[in-house]
Amino acid sequence: MTAYLDVDARPILRSGGEPFSVIMAALERLEKGQGLRLYAPFKPVPLFAVMADRGFAHSERALDGDEWEVLFTPVEAKAETGSPGGEHAPFAPWPQPIMELDNRDLDPPEPMVRILAAAEKLGPGETLSSLLSREPVFLFPQLEKRGFRWLGGFRPDGATYELTVRAPS
Amino acid sequence: MIGGSISRWTMTYFAAALTWLLAVLTLMIVGIGHPATDLAAPDTLVLVHVVCIGWLSLAMCGALFQFVPVLVARPLFSERWALPALALLTAGLVSLLAGFMALGGRLPSAPWLLPLGAVLLVTGFSLVVVDLGLTAWQRPTGPARFVLVGLASLCATVVFGTVFAFALAGWAGRIGEVVLARGIPLHAIAGLGGWLTLTAMGVSYRLLAMFMLAPDVEDRQSRLTLVAGALAVAMIVGGGAAAIGFGAGLNTVLAIAALLGLVCATLYGRDLASIFRTRKRHHLELNMRMALLSFASLAGTGLLGVALVSTATLPMHVGALAFLAVFGWLSGLVLAKLYKIVAFLTWLETYGPVMGRAPTPRVQDLVAERRATKWFATYYVSVWMGTLALLAKEPDAFRMAAVAMTVGVVGIVHEIVRIRRLEDVASPLRLPAGAVAPHLLFAKT
Repeated sequence: MTAYLDVDARPILRSGGEPFSVIMAALERLEKGQGLRLYAPFKPVPLFAVMADRGFAHSERALDGDEWEVLFTPVEAKAETGSPGGEHAPFAPWPQPIMELDNRDLDPPEPMVRILAAAEKLGPGETLSSLLSREPVFLFPQLEKRGFRWLGGFRPDGATYELTVRAPS
Repeated sequence: MIGGSISRWTMTYFAAALTWLLAVLTLMIVGIGHPATDLAAPDTLVLVHVVCIGWLSLAMCGALFQFVPVLVARPLFSERWALPALALLTAGLVSLLAGFMALGGRLPSAPWLLPLGAVLLVTGFSLVVVDLGLTAWQRPTGPARFVLVGLASLCATVVFGTVFAFALAGWAGRIGEVVLARGIPLHAIAGLGGWLTLTAMGVSYRLLAMFMLAPDVEDRQSRLTLVAGALAVAMIVGGGAAAIGFGAGLNTVLAIAALLGLVCATLYGRDLASIFRTRKRHHLELNMRMALLSFASLAGTGLLGVALVSTATLPMHVGALAFLAVFGWLSGLVLAKLYKIVAFLTWLETYGPVMGRAPTPRVQDLVAERRATKWFATYYVSVWMGTLALLAKEPDAFRMAAVAMTVGVVGIVHEIVRIRRLEDVASPLRLPAGAVAPHLLFAKT
């Protein structure tokens, strides 16, 4: 029987906030084998792919008033044994970053230039991470055009944006 | 895609807007409209609508098509509506201006021109409002809320304008006549204060924080600023319409709205101060230094308004007050930000695809700030001189100021064209392999 840590994103979203960092922070706190129970005012479809990449399967249940309860359950067994496809496995977690950039004190758009330059050096499926002081909205389309995938969110302090970029495998 | 892509038609809007700005400066130099004629004269209506619709609204719409998706991190509802909207707005404005010229006897009488212009403008602005409104509505936080209130004010402005256009053609019956006789201040304040000013404020929060590396203004803090502004507009539109309906005087409504407007401007000043105080980037680029002059002009507009009201001379000098608000605050801010936005978008469009694969210039390498500074300085000084000339009732001095403003604007436009053509980028970096030179009037995205 899996134990679940509860995260309620409803008040954060209602006050106009971004719950992504809170969810990511909760993930850090999870013990081995523990899952995450998320309450949200809508079905958080984009999160499903993110959580799948981190090795969680989801099951959702509609509550009253268009609200949702989503259970994210770890599927370590699958991720650890791995399939012949390796990186293509739906639940394969991303590998540890091979590069960590701290771009917090650079003038815009210098962080974008550095991240793109560094990303070009990644091998297939490799990742890099970067700290930024703002959400790099103009970087995302450039990454997508080049086939990179990315995950990002503010840390709970709200001042540091953490971005992970993964090269196409 | 998450909303940071380049809007294809933003440059087209900017080019159309700058063309209308040059047209309005020409009108002022040759002495068409206020102060050469009365504030309510048809020639003044031509002047006012060229500046508010042709220049300011088109520039604002172009900027919003680019930045609303960035504000909410969602793609634009429909990129395909932007160009038809521009065509409708341009045709509507031309028809409206022809209608005013017919009213003033400059063209043969054609009463249908004004309603036709109004219908075209309503259609064009509807495309803009629906497109931007549905985009902003997806995540209505902080600056996006300012844009939503701005768009609502635009709707109110357009409704009043349409009633006037039909009334002037004699097609709006008695109610239309009454609204036309008393509603003009409401139309003007909803447009300048609600649509243009609140929207400019909202976009400035994000642009300033983005370009100066400052944390965003807290939602709770900027919400107070917006509430004051929104109440002022609601007072003008709702209270004003009720006063007209009941045949009551407008003075109380105007006084309360003015007070709320001052509170809004003061709170905005506080928000800006906190952005400047908490910025990580200490060197201010030209666009930011010039934006400071437009903030000073906004403060000046507030002070001048208070001074004119307390000396009971507002009706005499309302033209000077509006001139400072339109050219010192709004036009100044738009010109300063255009200078940066065009450079940034041109850089992103040209070098984004090759970034990290080949050496690329910095955004600052696309501009020549020292050369541009003198054009901006010429512009602001001549705007302030023009305001003084209007206060002193010196039409000749005003025309001289308009000539100087034109020199400044032509200089700025020339700088913007140079940016777009990458003329200031040193040649080895100018077009690395794989980069394509941008088109002057639209993005090749």
